[in-house]
Amino acid sequence: MIRINNFKSCILLIAVLFTFSFQVFAQPDSAQAFAQPDGAEIFKANCTSCHIIGKRSIGPDLTGVTKKRTADWLKKWIKSSSDFIASGDADAIAIFEEYNKSVMNSFYHLSDEDMEALLVYLENPPVEEVKVAAVTGATKDEGMQSSTKMMLVALVLLTLVFLLTSIKNSLKESLGQETETVSQTVITQTKTFLANNINKLFVGLFVMIVVLKFVFDTLMGIGVTTSYQPEQPIAFSHKIHAGDNSIDCNYCHSSARSSKTSGIPSANVCMNCHANITSGTTTGTTEIQKIYDAIGYDPDTRTYIEGYVQKPIEWIKVHNLPDLAYFNHSQHVTVGGLECQQCHGNMEEKTVGQVATMQELNNISSNKKDSIEFDHATLTMGFCIDCHRQSEVKMDENDYYTSMHQKMKVKYAGQKITVEKMGGLECGKCHY
Amino acid sequence: MTKAKKYWKGLAELNDNPLVEKLKQNEFVEEIPVDKFLGDKELSSTSTSRRDFLKFLGFSTAAATLAACETPINKVIPYVIKPEEITPGIANYYATTMYDGHDYASVLVKTREGRPIKIDSNKSATNARIQASVLSLYDSGRLKNPMKVGVDTDWNTADAEIITKLNKIQNNGGTIAILSSTIVSPSTKQLIADFSAAYGNVKHIQMDAVSYSGILDANEASFGVRVLPTYNFDKAEVIVSFGADFLGNWLNADYAKQYVAARNPKNGKMAKHYQVESTLSLTGSNADKRIQMKPSEQKGLLSNLFSALNGGTADSRIAKLTNDLKNNTGKSIIVCNSNDTEVQTLVNSINNKLGNYENTISLSNPSYLKQGNDVDVATLIEEMNAGKIDALITYNVNPSYTLQNAEAYNSGLAKVGLTIATSLYNDESAQKMMYACPDNHYLESWGDANPSNGIYTLMQPTIAPLFKGRQFQESIMNWIGKSDYHVYLQNFYTDIDWNQSLHDGYFTKNQFAANVTLFEVNVPSFDLSKSEGVEFEMYEKISMGDGTQANNPWLQELPDPLSRACWDNYLTMSAATAADLGITNENVSNGALNGNMVNITVNAKTLKNVPVMIQPGQANDTVALAVGYGRTAAGKCGDGIGFNAFSLGNGNAKIEVVGGEYEFAATQLHHTMMGREIVKETTLEDFIKNPYSGNKQVTYATHNGEKPADQVTLWDEHDHSTGHFWNMSIDLTSCIGCSACVVSCHAENNVPVVGKEEVRKSRDMHWLRIDRYFSSDMTKELSKKEKTSAFDMYEKMEDPSGDPEVVFQPVMCQHCNHAPCETVCPVAATSHGSEGQNHMAYNRCVGTRYCANNCPYKVRRFNWFQYSDNDKFDFNMNDDYGKMVLNPDVVVRSRGVIEKCSMCIQKIQEIKLDAKNAGKRVRDEDAQTACSSACPTNAIVFGDVNDETHEVQSLKKEERAYTLLEHLNTAPSVFYQTKIRNKA
Repeated sequence: MIRINNFKSCILLIAVLFTFSFQVFAQPDSAQAFAQPDGAEIFKANCTSCHIIGKRSIGPDLTGVTKKRTADWLKKWIKSSSDFIASGDADAIAIFEEYNKSVMNSFYHLSDEDMEALLVYLENPPVEEVKVAAVTGATKDEGMQSSTKMMLVALVLLTLVFLLTSIKNSLKESLGQETETVSQTVITQTKTFLANNINKLFVGLFVMIVVLKFVFDTLMGIGVTTSYQPEQPIAFSHKIHAGDNSIDCNYCHSSARSSKTSGIPSANVCMNCHANITSGTTTGTTEIQKIYDAIGYDPDTRTYIEGYVQKPIEWIKVHNLPDLAYFNHSQHVTVGGLECQQCHGNMEEKTVGQVATMQELNNISSNKKDSIEFDHATLTMGFCIDCHRQSEVKMDENDYYTSMHQKMKVKYAGQKITVEKMGGLECGKCHY
Repeated sequence: MTKAKKYWKGLAELNDNPLVEKLKQNEFVEEIPVDKFLGDKELSSTSTSRRDFLKFLGFSTAAATLAACETPINKVIPYVIKPEEITPGIANYYATTMYDGHDYASVLVKTREGRPIKIDSNKSATNARIQASVLSLYDSGRLKNPMKVGVDTDWNTADAEIITKLNKIQNNGGTIAILSSTIVSPSTKQLIADFSAAYGNVKHIQMDAVSYSGILDANEASFGVRVLPTYNFDKAEVIVSFGADFLGNWLNADYAKQYVAARNPKNGKMAKHYQVESTLSLTGSNADKRIQMKPSEQKGLLSNLFSALNGGTADSRIAKLTNDLKNNTGKSIIVCNSNDTEVQTLVNSINNKLGNYENTISLSNPSYLKQGNDVDVATLIEEMNAGKIDALITYNVNPSYTLQNAEAYNSGLAKVGLTIATSLYNDESAQKMMYACPDNHYLESWGDANPSNGIYTLMQPTIAPLFKGRQFQESIMNWIGKSDYHVYLQNFYTDIDWNQSLHDGYFTKNQFAANVTLFEVNVPSFDLSKSEGVEFEMYEKISMGDGTQANNPWLQELPDPLSRACWDNYLTMSAATAADLGITNENVSNGALNGNMVNITVNAKTLKNVPVMIQPGQANDTVALAVGYGRTAAGKCGDGIGFNAFSLGNGNAKIEVVGGEYEFAATQLHHTMMGREIVKETTLEDFIKNPYSGNKQVTYATHNGEKPADQVTLWDEHDHSTGHFWNMSIDLTSCIGCSACVVSCHAENNVPVVGKEEVRKSRDMHWLRIDRYFSSDMTKELSKKEKTSAFDMYEKMEDPSGDPEVVFQPVMCQHCNHAPCETVCPVAATSHGSEGQNHMAYNRCVGTRYCANNCPYKVRRFNWFQYSDNDKFDFNMNDDYGKMVLNPDVVVRSRGVIEKCSMCIQKIQEIKLDAKNAGKRVRDEDAQTACSSACPTNAIVFGDVNDETHEVQSLKKEERAYTLLEHLNTAPSVFYQTKIRNKA
């Protein structure tokens, strides 16, 4: 039993608790990169499809190239190797011949500063580390969870109990009465409180309601997969693809525009880029090699292996809709004009696929713009209904809606024509 | 009461039977071996106590429960290299040709993720069997591997042995026979010719299970060409059929569309249809006038008709018919089902006399769908028995089952050195042959067809072969050292745009048709007589056909349109004949139908314990049995069901009543409408005078005077004005009862098959049923005239007439806008949609069945059991192959929920989405449900009544339109059009 007689210690305790609670609010600062031509970036953006440092690829190994050739020579070559060869430079022709007369792309857009930065980078290229794929299933929640709030309230109340007891004790001490511990106070107070039958009834009811609520919430939570982020067979990062490299979501999930499923890209879609990009920024070659293992590709010779027995990649499904519900991507993406982020959150900032949380979706700018605010967990029916109640049907410029729109404008004069008004809440529209 | 009374439990107790005393003492008749169990040494030596047992039980239950709480991990496996044409979730359609040796159609195949899941028609009509053929593809009972004398082998071994043997036969100058179904494929005929060229002495014999040899031979005699004519029923004003079921199975051609076109009451005239037959056929049930006769009377009546047309006197039964024919020369058609060349020659003479050739019947545009030759088959069997045939290759035929003299064929088979069956199944015939080579299903094959002059259709594979099959064409190419039938086929048609033709599924090409020579034959003449006693006739059911697809559960469970029974064949018999023989049909306590059994002997062959179904419309002293049943090697679903009618053959029958009762599985147990206006009908004459005739509106007396039923309501109206309002019109004049829609609905909506026992308990799951009603001799008018009591009247109304008029009425969920089901559901699992449908959320349903009780149309179906993955229901949903046919857009319902017609909401949602994606309105032709798209006569029309471009809008305003049980004012979204008969 803690016995607090000292006022000072009370203050100290409160201070400690507050500091602790502030830490909950604390957000890590993200470091801002400063702008300047970055050789590494330029290399990654322009050269990696043909050059690997430390290894011969489609193009030569560039280790120590700055020592072999002059900066001037290199700049001319980079700017336009074909012009350079045509000018009759013996070294240039030799390289051209050595690499089966395959012409290197011209890079007119690179400024002198860019090229210098590139050469600086090439002078001290980083030693390639073999990185072991580590899939981070980091789940970071935005904002504060309600449980955290509850805990804070409880802490404050607890503090108050300690505080008041100590005040009472100080007063009693000053009056020369016998002091009592916190637990003693609590026990006696509770006994007096429960001596009243009405109070007993209320407490009983309260406890019952809390228990029922807990049971209800637990049961309702079955099958709710918010924040579900399983480990995938390939440590694919949406951040690198959709975020850093700004690849359109629909490039890989191409059937989202036309079909009910958004489609997991087949390995041949990966190969559109990864036939050339053989090494990744965070995981090196190990993860990309998994694509090659599936499809049968030799990154060294850049050829497909003949007669290879292909092995499909077995991804883990993240968004599991039960069979009883029919969902069609094209209805929402093409017809409704929704952005992927409105239901899937900012995938371009995440690594592997994850079911976005309701809070995250409510912070998405397009949802704010369309004034959609979710009140139910992601991928539950309430979640769908929330949106169908709030989102306005985009009827303009689609002849399908023309005659309906005319009639609805009269019927719902002055109101927003939401999906609900089109029958979007009816059972049979999604359950058949 | 001074003395307590003694009560005996039975006579036995009174008589002091010792057993009664013994039973009284011992609870069980036999000693329960408790001591033996407890005396088990091993049991007593174990340390597991009862408490331990309960602990283990408790632990494992808790563990299993906890384990079940974990969210299952689903995998998603994309293609490694995605085929360009496949997008998961989007259906691809391929045009191809359905031909299985019996049925033919040009079809569109819907595939999902590479699996064919639905057959639609491609500019022609489909029947129930063609609709169901997609399930036969996934039949795990198919022949999966080449077999030699019943033992699995591989293609290399089989091919090598076959080629060696064929070469040996060739060197010895032996004869090779190829026995096939009618070959409609010109390239296959060429291949057989190539095969003949390679092996020299090769005979090719074609046979049809249901033979049309008579009509072909008659045409050869009359016109010098052994072909079938094409009939143009749409040009006819008088149609007379002597037993030919041309709307159902006759010639397996789609004449229904033409027939309905000739009988559109809106034109103010309808072709008059007479049917002269003994067994009530689908066609007969649609006739304006049906004349009953015995099969033996047919030729006499035809002869009488011919002489009457030439100035003689017509028999009283056909006097009116003769008169109508005389008044419509050149605008009539006479068809006959006889397989007798002389009878068919007589039919030709009548048609010629009436000037029908080149008007309604075209020989210059012949049909090639049936080419079988009975004489050739008989000769082959003789030669086989004489040991003159050294090798026999069969293709698409099952002679050991379909031949009447199968014994002679089988004995001949034993004398043939090399026998090879190329077959989809290891059927009755293939089992008796040395090599059974698995053929490919038409959905796995390349091919072509030439159904009629100048028209060609192409067959293309829509899925890679499921088993180790190889199509017949590829096999015989292999045996002559060639390969790749696909290339062969392309080279066969060099003068066409291959890709375009393949895309369309058909192309037309000038084709030389043999010249039709003048008609110069002696017209045979027959006496108008009939044989004494009971006559037997075999017939084809719309569901089973010749039995090729007997292992198809959809077809087995498809109720016969006339008897409404499924999973059986039975002797059909008139009520009068049955009464003579002392045979009854009775309904047992749960309503199910039982029948007596007989032994029937025809042509010295006997079938024992054949059940009898009393069939109104069956001519007296005639009995009929459907072919296609009684299979012994069809597969788990088709084996041992019914009796083989092929083995009997037509002729006089000896019937011997035997004891015992047979249990039928019938889906409709009442036969008449009992004076109610469920199907409204009128005559053409009355309809022309008053388009509302027969469609009298129901009115109610209110305080504001008489009001039509639809204006007397307690309900609030749904507002259907702004969006779509999907409605369906069903024209009862056009509906011929063919049941193609029922199977189409099965395929589209994953409707389960429940089996005979469950159907017998009225637990069939068909979302769409076709009610059939017979007229009764007793009517309300007659009862008024004869002053019979209401009780007598209704009792008599229950009995169908011996010569009934028949009506068909497809009934599915009527999608009431004042739905009785919606108000009684305690959990709101069924609710109303803004587009006019009545929705059903299966996962919300708790199975109270209140809705089914409150539904006046009885269209709601309850899942009494889990019908998928349940060994008790070992049909396609309990089979890894069979499950591939399921529509991925429709949920497979679980046990304990109600299901019903959704108006194909998945299709509606899809067409709406397609329209939205295209930025266009929904087109009328795109708005189709499974039943409307399968309907060969366009009787079912579906569309949006809020869209003036949709046909259904004008149909709703028709004078003939009415809703079923309109006095209930349920305001259905489905409405019917009055049936019109031409009784002039």
